[in-house]
Parts: sequence; structure tokens; C-alpha cells
Amino acid sequence: MSEEDKVTRMIILGPAAQVSQSQVVGELHMLELPLTIKSTCYGAVVHGKEEDVLTAIREIRKLDPANIFTKDRGFPPGDPRRCRAKRGGAREGFHQLEKEFELLGFVGEALEWPEPVEIKKHGKISPEDFKKIAEECEK
Amino acid sequence: MKIAIFPPNSLILADLVERKGHEPLVLQKEIRKKVTDPEIDSPPFNITEEEPIKGLKYAAIEVPSGIRGRMAIFGPLIEAAEAAIIMEDAPFGFGCIGCARTNELCMYFLRKQGIPVLELHYPETREETMEVVNQINAFLDGLEAKDDPKGGD
Repeated sequence: MSEEDKVTRMIILGPAAQVSQSQVVGELHMLELPLTIKSTCYGAVVHGKEEDVLTAIREIRKLDPANIFTKDRGFPPGDPRRCRAKRGGAREGFHQLEKEFELLGFVGEALEWPEPVEIKKHGKISPEDFKKIAEECEK
Repeated sequence: MKIAIFPPNSLILADLVERKGHEPLVLQKEIRKKVTDPEIDSPPFNITEEEPIKGLKYAAIEVPSGIRGRMAIFGPLIEAAEAAIIMEDAPFGFGCIGCARTNELCMYFLRKQGIPVLELHYPETREETMEVVNQINAFLDGLEAKDDPKGGD
């Protein structure tokens, strides 16, 4: 099988996850699938045939369904064009992951205990209040 | 169903779509085709001069080549979409969506496709996130119902 037919998936643990990265990697190895498995700070990266990767994802999600998230990755693990070990600095995509990670706890909560929510819309400030604020700032 | 998401590399959107049994049309799949092609092996380049030419299908010749190059990758995803979820105002850290004009063009094409589209704002608080997740799940459930009007398996 050529490298072109293989897929890479990132497994990301939410902040409320009941499993650790090492547990996830251990479980992935226990599946005995022909995959490349890499432990990372956010979870793990798996690389291999699409059906094996999807099986691994399905099985690993069972550990904590609401707090294990997965995402496709274009570049294979350790690719010199992206790997931090070769380039230095944050990997492309890291800052996005960091930003989305901030919300993963809430997403996990919404998946586990869905509830209707009411969002407060910020109203317009009255000219009197605005005048007061401006006067306070001038002091 | 094939669901286009915007930002096309969003972890939250792709994951929620997949949880409901649909296929998210993510950018990484298109990028994978480019970076694992043995003909393109010179980092950091992963597109060739062919892409701005292919992008002419989506944008005029006067449009900067950067937009046309990006559209050559985004375009096939938009064309394959059977429904779309657009999340506006995503933070700038979202890598490939750093080009505002490409984003506008992508959203324009998605809206013009005549497919069901769910439009959201990037959530910042717990309540907003809960609401976004509820809306996405309701939208995806609605698509399933449309897909299978009898409601059976």
C-alpha cells in the first residue's frame, strides 16, 4: 500500500476527559492494528489504512465518548515539513487547536448533558449611562 | 450526507458532524492529496502553478493568485457538499482561513449552492457553546429526517 492511500487522524482529549494520553496510546496498542501511533501533548496521532484508523477511532471513543474528539490531519506524523523536531516553534495548526481546546470542555458538557440555554444579548447603552462613563474616565 | 464545514479545518465542527454519522468535507483531506503526492516533494511548497489556473473556475483572472490557489482546494469541497455549516468570526489562529477574501468567496459559494445551510457565530462562552452544539445537532437530525422521510431504518 502506498503512502497516498493512508490517512492520519488526531485524537484530542477534552479538558474533562477521564483518560490520559498514555492510557489512550496503551489502548491503541492493545487493538493490535497495523497503525503508526504517536503520543502527543493533546492525545495521540494515528496513521495507517483508513479502515484500521476508523476502527481505532471507534474503539477509542468508547473510553470517554463525550470527551474524546478526533480530527483529520493532512500531513503524516513526523513529516519534516510540519514536525516540530525539525522546524522548531509551534506546529502549524497548533494555535487553532489551542483555541478550540478552550471550548472542548463545554462541547463535551453539551454532548453529555444537552440542555436548552438562553443567551443574554447585550443591549444598547443609554446616552445618560454613556455620559456618566465618559465623565468618570475624564476624572 | 456530505457536509461542508466552514472553517474547513475546524475540529469541533468536523467531530460533531462525524458523531451524527455524516461525512465532514474537511480541508485536510484535500491537503493530504497534495502533500503525499510524490511529484510534490519540495517543502514548504504543497501546491503548484496548476492551482491558480484551476481556481479560474471560481474567481476571475483579476483576482489575486493566492485566492485562486486556495479556491482550487476549497472549490471541490464546496461542489461536493449536500449541506453546510458555516461558523463565522473564527479566531485568526485558524491557519488556512487567514485570507478574508477567500473566506467571503467560499461562504458566498456555499450559500449559492442551494443546499441547507446552518449559519452560526464562533462561540466564546459556555452558554454560546451549548447553544451552538444544540443547533448543530438539531440541524443534522433535520437532515436525517429529510433524507429518510419514513423515519425508519
